[in-house]
Amino acid sequence: MSPGRVALRRAIRHGGFWIGGTIIFVIVLMAIFAPLLTPYDPSVQSLSEGFVPPVWAEAGSWEHPLGTDNLGRDYFARLLYGARISLGLGLLTVIISGTIGTAMGITAGYWGGWPDMIINFFITVRLTLPVVLVALVVVALIGSSLWLLILVIGLLLWDRFAIVVRSATQQLAQREYITSARAIGSSTPRILFREILPNITGPLVVVTSIEIAHAILLEAALSFLGLGVQPPDVSWGLMVAEAKAQLLFRPWMIAIPGAALVLLIFAINLVGDALRDVTTPEGKA
Amino acid sequence: MSDDTRILSVRGLNVQIPIPGSTLWPVRDVNIDVGRGETVAVVGESGCGKSLTALAIMGLLPRQAKVQSEALRLNAESLAEASPKRWRQLRGDRIAMIFQDPMTALDPCYRIGDQMCEILQQHRKISRSAAMKRSLDLLGKVGIPAPEERLKQYPHQLSGGLRQRVMIAMALLCEPELIIADEPTTALDVTIQAQILRLLRDIQRETNIGLLLITHDLGVVAGMADRIVVMYGGEVVEVGTCDQVLAQPLHPYTEGLVRSIPVPGETEQGEALGYIPGIVPRQVGERTACGFVDRCPYATSACREEPIAMRDAGDGRLMRCILPTDGSARDPDVWILPDETSAQSATNSGSL
Amino acid sequence: MPEVLTMRGVTRDYSVGSGFARKQTLRALRGVDLGVERGKTLGLVGESGCGKSTLAKILLGVEEPTSGEVLVGGKPIQSYDRIERARLIQPVFQDPYSSLNPRMTVEAIIAAPMRVRGEGGRSLQAKVHELAGEVGLPRHLVEAYPSQLSGGQRQRVAIARALIGEPEILICDEPTSALDVSVQSQILNLLHNLKRQLNLTMILISHNLAVVHHLADDVAVMYLGQIVERGPSRDIFEAARHPYSDALLKAVLPPRAGVRLPEMGLEAEFPSPVNPPSGCTFHPRCQKARALCAEQAPCRTDADAEHSYRCHFPNNLKDEECPQV
Repeated sequence: MSPGRVALRRAIRHGGFWIGGTIIFVIVLMAIFAPLLTPYDPSVQSLSEGFVPPVWAEAGSWEHPLGTDNLGRDYFARLLYGARISLGLGLLTVIISGTIGTAMGITAGYWGGWPDMIINFFITVRLTLPVVLVALVVVALIGSSLWLLILVIGLLLWDRFAIVVRSATQQLAQREYITSARAIGSSTPRILFREILPNITGPLVVVTSIEIAHAILLEAALSFLGLGVQPPDVSWGLMVAEAKAQLLFRPWMIAIPGAALVLLIFAINLVGDALRDVTTPEGKA
Repeated sequence: MSDDTRILSVRGLNVQIPIPGSTLWPVRDVNIDVGRGETVAVVGESGCGKSLTALAIMGLLPRQAKVQSEALRLNAESLAEASPKRWRQLRGDRIAMIFQDPMTALDPCYRIGDQMCEILQQHRKISRSAAMKRSLDLLGKVGIPAPEERLKQYPHQLSGGLRQRVMIAMALLCEPELIIADEPTTALDVTIQAQILRLLRDIQRETNIGLLLITHDLGVVAGMADRIVVMYGGEVVEVGTCDQVLAQPLHPYTEGLVRSIPVPGETEQGEALGYIPGIVPRQVGERTACGFVDRCPYATSACREEPIAMRDAGDGRLMRCILPTDGSARDPDVWILPDETSAQSATNSGSL
Repeated sequence: MPEVLTMRGVTRDYSVGSGFARKQTLRALRGVDLGVERGKTLGLVGESGCGKSTLAKILLGVEEPTSGEVLVGGKPIQSYDRIERARLIQPVFQDPYSSLNPRMTVEAIIAAPMRVRGEGGRSLQAKVHELAGEVGLPRHLVEAYPSQLSGGQRQRVAIARALIGEPEILICDEPTSALDVSVQSQILNLLHNLKRQLNLTMILISHNLAVVHHLADDVAVMYLGQIVERGPSRDIFEAARHPYSDALLKAVLPPRAGVRLPEMGLEAEFPSPVNPPSGCTFHPRCQKARALCAEQAPCRTDADAEHSYRCHFPNNLKDEECPQV
């Protein structure tokens, strides 16, 4: 059985993987099929229907299951469409940061010497930068758009990829099968992509899950500060921000997107933990 | 061996380790005796249960391992019911252990002298200066040059051979009655190995300590042991004096091992060496046949009918085999087999 | 017989101590001269730190010598590109648990040297299966992953991978020392048969003299980056000149009744290659050392056409060699 299938079989038996995976799966489905799940457009305003409470409150109705916000927009629709932005942003930023970090980590770990010193310097510099502040400054200077946000977060969050991949590669480079690959005349790209990369997928997958959560939280924080996702787009962070004035009067408005964020991050971390468990080799394998 | 010269007596030792789906049974019904001033070698290949046996005797197996024994005695004291506190008192004091890799067995954060004093002060009411004095004496005794300086050094400042000498000195600190040495020279270079073995043997003779030597190397056994306990598949398969077992192995496994080792001056260059076909099976469940039957060229249908009991072979020898006890009906060349191709089954080759 | 592999004055330095630490030079190889004839097996013996693994890495092209030259088939090794070099020289490593990529099937591992050269398809697959049979690997294991194999089976895979490209030279770095005794003998038998059938040139690196005795035609003994004695296997095992060769021979413990532990008489411990002793580098450990040994490094002396050593006061001199007093 291939190592990948072994990991899959172990994942199926892992409780955390099931719970986290199910939550994520449901959220992803809700984001994809948002138009089918709600008749409302999340940005259409209806001032006469402002501040409808959710269905479980006394004045609530099934017409707006989670109520409406101050502009009369359906809160359930906003939550569904907000999930699209949060998830999409998390994925895209991780593709950017993962590519950068993995490339840097493999380069530093495989060659060592001066490439390692230079990359280490970049990692150190990056670690000295406060992520939120830098993102704030860039967005404030250039102006805010969703794509800029993805790019900025992606260009900031590669540090953990680089550090983890570098140390994993360093360990692998000592292995005799890497020396064997060189001795059979393998080209360097072949060694990197055929011998090293498949053997670091374990840590890579784990870091990816952590960083997706990290990016989503960062987006929420920036949106909360008004420099993230801009209306008419909607994200969970933006919903929290818009609801903050109502904290004392209509606490559910902040609690609903807040709870959604907590649930999503919790689920991603559960899956990340499970992946770490199932990809850790038992013995020498 | 009379009871009063016996330091260690193990009877019916079993170790079981639960794993997902089943239970490993890596040590089965092991009996071992070590007398005062005697060296007993436990020999076997990886997976035979020799190291687990040693750890069980030291009370060092992890919690999930189930250890059962009819008797586990150090001198007259039964250890089977000993409390964790009593174990801690015994270890390092009455029983000492020497590990394979002295680099990982020494704590890199502490000076040699501090580590030695700590052991002494743990077990004896002794002042630090007296403890240092004794450490110094012992380092000198194990042949370490300039012992005063070594006391103040850290483990990484010492070579592999010196570290193993320090380990031996540490084992001797409290004048134990029994030393368990698990592959004490496997990590060392060959020229250093001979020196360390000599040292261990000389000290043991001088102090009359019982030595339980765990090793895979029959050459080390030949030079060190008084008696040999051969283990295979978690069971003891043969017991005898060193000369008896090496000169005329009774159990087919022992014979196969001896036949598979090239010896300069005896085996010719390129001469086909014997080997034991197949691989060690996983140790699960009750025995229903001889544990070696699948790899044994002498096997008959009788070997598959029931587990084989230990038999007295005379001259104090024991064997777990139904072949004649006088060593007849054996052909050493039976081990020289054509290279195996698809003969061996892969069903039992999965990693644990 | 022509020499298929020749090393002349090969030296390799490493710089130790990184970052802000003081840099020191570690001379892992100091002027190694060595030649191997086609179809012969050279046993390279020495303890850890003697430079035998560095030598293997240089031959494999994983490291470059600091000075000196390595000739393969009469041409400098640098003149071959990586694929040509791989065609000539192949390794078998010590630890079959670390030398096989756990993410590749046995078939992919054995076929890798050919894939690198751009070969593939049915004929390659057939070749892999044929070779797997030749090295004694059960047929159904060809599709398995390394984690499903035992140590001996893994080492057979490593040997098959080394042989598939029909190399001129096989470098075996401690090929059996990670294996159990009863498995070690199978691999030794296999290597011996392959060597005879394929007329392989082999460099066998080992600290175990019994293994070297079993396979090697010639033996070179290394100490601290230098070859201190070299000669036909029989000469070394029966009449070693260098005291260090003698010590290694004594250290072999045969599993026989009545064997006693050898009196090693080796003083001190292995010196640091960063700071080697003066004169003969073996003198601090040598019982026969005299004042001369600490002052002057011994030159290479020829006992006969094939046997040479570096020692001022060798053992086992023949009568006609003894200095006339």
